[in-house]
Amino acid sequence: MKGIAGWKSAPVLLGAVSFAAILLVWESAVRLGWANPFFISQPSAIAASLSRSARSGELWHNLAVSLREFAIGYGLSVAVGIPAGAVAGRFRTVEYALDPFLWFLYSAPLIAFYPIFVLWFGLGVPTVIVIAFLLSVTQIAASTLSGFQNVNPGLLRAARSFGATERDLLWKVVLPASVPMVIAGLRLGVGRALMGVVVGELFGATAGLGYSIAYYGALLKTTDMIASLLVVVVLGVLCTQGLSALEARFDSWRTGPDS
Amino acid sequence: MSAPPLSLKINTMVRSIFSSNYRVLVSTVTVMAFLTIWEIAPRAGMADATYTSQPSRVIAAGLEIVRTGGFVRDVYASLSEFTIGFALAIGIGVPLGLLLGRFLVLRYLLDPPIMAIYATPHLALLPIIVVWLGIGMQSKIAVAFVGGIIPILVNTMAGVRGVERSWVVAARSFCAGEWDVFVKVILPASLVSVVMGIRLGLSRAVLGVVVAEMYQSQAGIGNEIMRYGSEFRSDYLLFDVLLVSLFGFAATSAVRALEEKLWTAGK
Repeated sequence: MKGIAGWKSAPVLLGAVSFAAILLVWESAVRLGWANPFFISQPSAIAASLSRSARSGELWHNLAVSLREFAIGYGLSVAVGIPAGAVAGRFRTVEYALDPFLWFLYSAPLIAFYPIFVLWFGLGVPTVIVIAFLLSVTQIAASTLSGFQNVNPGLLRAARSFGATERDLLWKVVLPASVPMVIAGLRLGVGRALMGVVVGELFGATAGLGYSIAYYGALLKTTDMIASLLVVVVLGVLCTQGLSALEARFDSWRTGPDS
Repeated sequence: MSAPPLSLKINTMVRSIFSSNYRVLVSTVTVMAFLTIWEIAPRAGMADATYTSQPSRVIAAGLEIVRTGGFVRDVYASLSEFTIGFALAIGIGVPLGLLLGRFLVLRYLLDPPIMAIYATPHLALLPIIVVWLGIGMQSKIAVAFVGGIIPILVNTMAGVRGVERSWVVAARSFCAGEWDVFVKVILPASLVSVVMGIRLGLSRAVLGVVVAEMYQSQAGIGNEIMRYGSEFRSDYLLFDVLLVSLFGFAATSAVRALEEKLWTAGK
């Protein structure tokens, strides 16, 4: 099978085509009266809503609130998750001690703790930050842990036989070798932290992107709701793409599949 | 060959028992320590049990919840929402993933929107799904479906793409038709990633049902959680959260066991 799929720029080209087609069908379905704009709105109205809220400053305010919560929650989970995962990866006892708590946090519907968090930390920003932190810290710690554990034993043996001390091993072998896994954890953690921010705001907040989605949803203003949702989608894509690029960069020094 | 001295044999035996149980030992000790502190701290006046609850209170609350009649109804509602939504996610996600993995043009067309949805927190769609489908069961089923289908789709696609080319070529050279190649080579070879996608989708679907019920609903475990939360009954709330976590963990472990079986069978 050759044809279009064989072209070098085919992925980009066909991807653009599909986005254009979605917008076109969406807009014309509403204009031709096939679909009710109350439910699905329409691209032109969403664009107008976005530019209106950008001019009034509402968009930037919500974006700033969400980004700040995201930055604090995610920053904390990086600051806690990487050292915790590293120590657990290095010392078996610590790993066994942390393991039950990690799996619980990982499989618990953490957002269900939201009412309790409100009791503990107060409504709004602090609770949102805690949810974002807890959602992403488990991912980052778990990836760091497996990165530290899966260092090629051949590399360790080689370094030892050249007289490397424990300290040398940590700084010159274990850390560099586990960087790709750590960054993979950071990438997956970004998605979870963003989820925590948006969903936390959905339930109880006074500002932010999730709040504005829920707010316009309650008013049944579909256009404004989809506009906010779109900003969340763009944010998610940007964050994930950014860290994928970082991952590719840090991974480029590897030569073999087994290193 | 003479047998190794008994003392050595016992020594290795003890060591192997010790190392295999070491994990269990350490984990148990830390969990027990955590539970003990949690139980004692409010009694010693170091924490307020209204906020932190206590293991004994959670157990008591659990017994009471299970005894009352509404519990069965809520579990039934949540479970059926999850089952329908997730079954739909598998039923549509796997065939669609197989198709997209097989036909390159189709994949290039649909990849960007799928990736955009993948990068979006799927629970952000909750308010609009409620506008579309109302606050009844349909919206929960839809959230479980959306949460579950994306990992299934992505992993199935990756599984089909990862099938060894030489197997396809070998099958073709033995005169296998397009359909034979698909059913006899590609399907079995991508099974492991399909099951992995199902495992990843599972926890997202469980979370989706519970959070959707917390957001707007008339029944279900999430509805209970929200009610207990607004009444500040943390003991009851914690029991429900624990129940959902155990369900998610058990279901995920079951699929993981299946996955490992397939791995070893495939070798």
